[in-house]
Amino acid sequence: MKRVLVRSEALEKTFGEGELETPVLKGVSVEVAAGELVLLMGPSGSGKTTLISILAGLLRPTAGNVELCGSVISELHEAEVTRVRRRHLGFVFQSYNLFPALTALDNIAEVLKLKGLPAREARERATRALTDVGLGERLHHRPGELSGGQKQRVAIARALAGDPALIMGDEVTAALDTHTALHVLEILRGQVSAERGILLVTHDKRLEQFADRVIEIEDGQISRVLPGGAGTGAAA
Amino acid sequence: MLRIALQSLAHDRGKLVASIAGVAFAATLVFAQVGLYAGFLQSSSAVIRHVGGDVWVMARGTVVVDNGERLSAGSREIAAAHPCVERVRGLVLSFQALRKPNGSLEAVQIVGFEPSPKRVVPWAMARGLPQDLHAPMRVAVDRLDVEKLAIDGDPIGAELGIGRESVRVAAVTDGIRAFTLAPYVFAELDTARRLALLGADQAFYWVLDLARPECATDVVAAVDRHPDLVARRTDDFREMTETYWVAGSGAGAALGFSALLGLVVGVVIVGQTLYAVTKEHMRELATLKAIGASPAEIVSFVAWQAAFLALVGGGLGLGMAFGVRNLAVDAGLTIVLSGPVLGVGCGAVLMMCAVASLWSVRAVLALEAAEVFR
Repeated sequence: MKRVLVRSEALEKTFGEGELETPVLKGVSVEVAAGELVLLMGPSGSGKTTLISILAGLLRPTAGNVELCGSVISELHEAEVTRVRRRHLGFVFQSYNLFPALTALDNIAEVLKLKGLPAREARERATRALTDVGLGERLHHRPGELSGGQKQRVAIARALAGDPALIMGDEVTAALDTHTALHVLEILRGQVSAERGILLVTHDKRLEQFADRVIEIEDGQISRVLPGGAGTGAAA
Repeated sequence: MLRIALQSLAHDRGKLVASIAGVAFAATLVFAQVGLYAGFLQSSSAVIRHVGGDVWVMARGTVVVDNGERLSAGSREIAAAHPCVERVRGLVLSFQALRKPNGSLEAVQIVGFEPSPKRVVPWAMARGLPQDLHAPMRVAVDRLDVEKLAIDGDPIGAELGIGRESVRVAAVTDGIRAFTLAPYVFAELDTARRLALLGADQAFYWVLDLARPECATDVVAAVDRHPDLVARRTDDFREMTETYWVAGSGAGAALGFSALLGLVVGVVIVGQTLYAVTKEHMRELATLKAIGASPAEIVSFVAWQAAFLALVGGGLGLGMAFGVRNLAVDAGLTIVLSGPVLGVGCGAVLMMCAVASLWSVRAVLALEAAEVFR
């Protein structure tokens, strides 16, 4: 049986109060297990960004529970949630979010140092991660000297270098051309293992071929769960 | 976080240079103003500090060393009456009129002292030695006052007319200027008495050297019983004189206000830079927060930058302040960059950068990690 990395039960999230109260999530239950790549898709305003933020412990739900890598983070204090994220999660974003002043190597090594690794080990792991995504020759380039695809690969290497159980991504291919987007997804797909899963929020239909499951969300509710091109599908 | 913070700051060279320059100029201003203040303190009480002693005896009502009154000859015995008094030194400090060659008058301050093996007066010599004043009617003037006193050519040997007397310059002091701006004319006590029209046993102050400094309280109490005399510990009189001139004249407030303006300008410049750099990196900082950086680690992004600007800008400012001090000597201004002054200046620069970083700290603390998904 696969290890569940993140699971939500009857998640609800409401923004604003009184007349301005807006329900964004209405009883959402999902789970992502190790060994699968799951896409979270839906139109703008459907609640997918709010959902991934809550699953990552970056937002608190109004109601419902979230269990992340064995910890019920919806019941933990902020500092404890931060520790869970630091230990188990990696992130990849549409706009890469790399420090422009740092080299590719430093962008990763400094994050690893924040996670508590000694400087030498951090640099060794950063070098290995960059080499794994095909950027072994670009260690000392700054983001401004890299293409969009290369920057995204640095961001993936940053996420992988901490050896997270779960990688969460937001529109990771939105700024990339088709060829580069597919290459980036091949890299991500290659990182899925018996110990690791990936959850991506996307509008990009091109990615479905790499997914085990596609969860569609609309008006704050799961509307459909479809099998992806790489898997057979399962319950949401 | 140190590397991230400093490399992010250094990434925009223009902003970095502007900020360092801002801190450096603000620091220069602060060091120079605080140094000037300390210089004013020193020059206002220089005679007291260099003449020294444990207790000063003066006419009742005297609140500042420059406004002493002549004491009767008998007052010396009263001052010396306590058995703890080891030695009594007379001091004359009197304003007199000096006649310039063109006939105009210039107010000068006669400083008449009794030579002491422990205390060298005058204390800074440009030419000659204090011993050159042993001969009658010999005086020392300062090199910075030579022009003001209308002395042509070599000042050594120049003849000056003070009151009804004529004196000859035997030595030149090095940058000893009075807070009152009246040039000092140093002379030994007998010469000074003649210039100040005093009798043989008169003085403006009796400076007491005590056998044991701890009996100063008893000596002060004994002298204070006399209706016309008052005694003060040397440090108390020094503080009174400094307060009278620096606080009473408003000079201290003016210097403090200038230093404050420098700090405000520095806060604005540094604050703008730190805030701009922080705002430019909000997404990256949110990413670090999402990855698991603690609030303290995120705040350290700003704190390291502020510390760097304080260190580099403050260091440059300190160097510039030493340059300004050397320039100020020629202008007759004393800027004291002593340990305490440097401590106050460094503290002010650190505080300036800390205050300047508050806007950025507030911004990063308000930063939500969920921003990374928006």
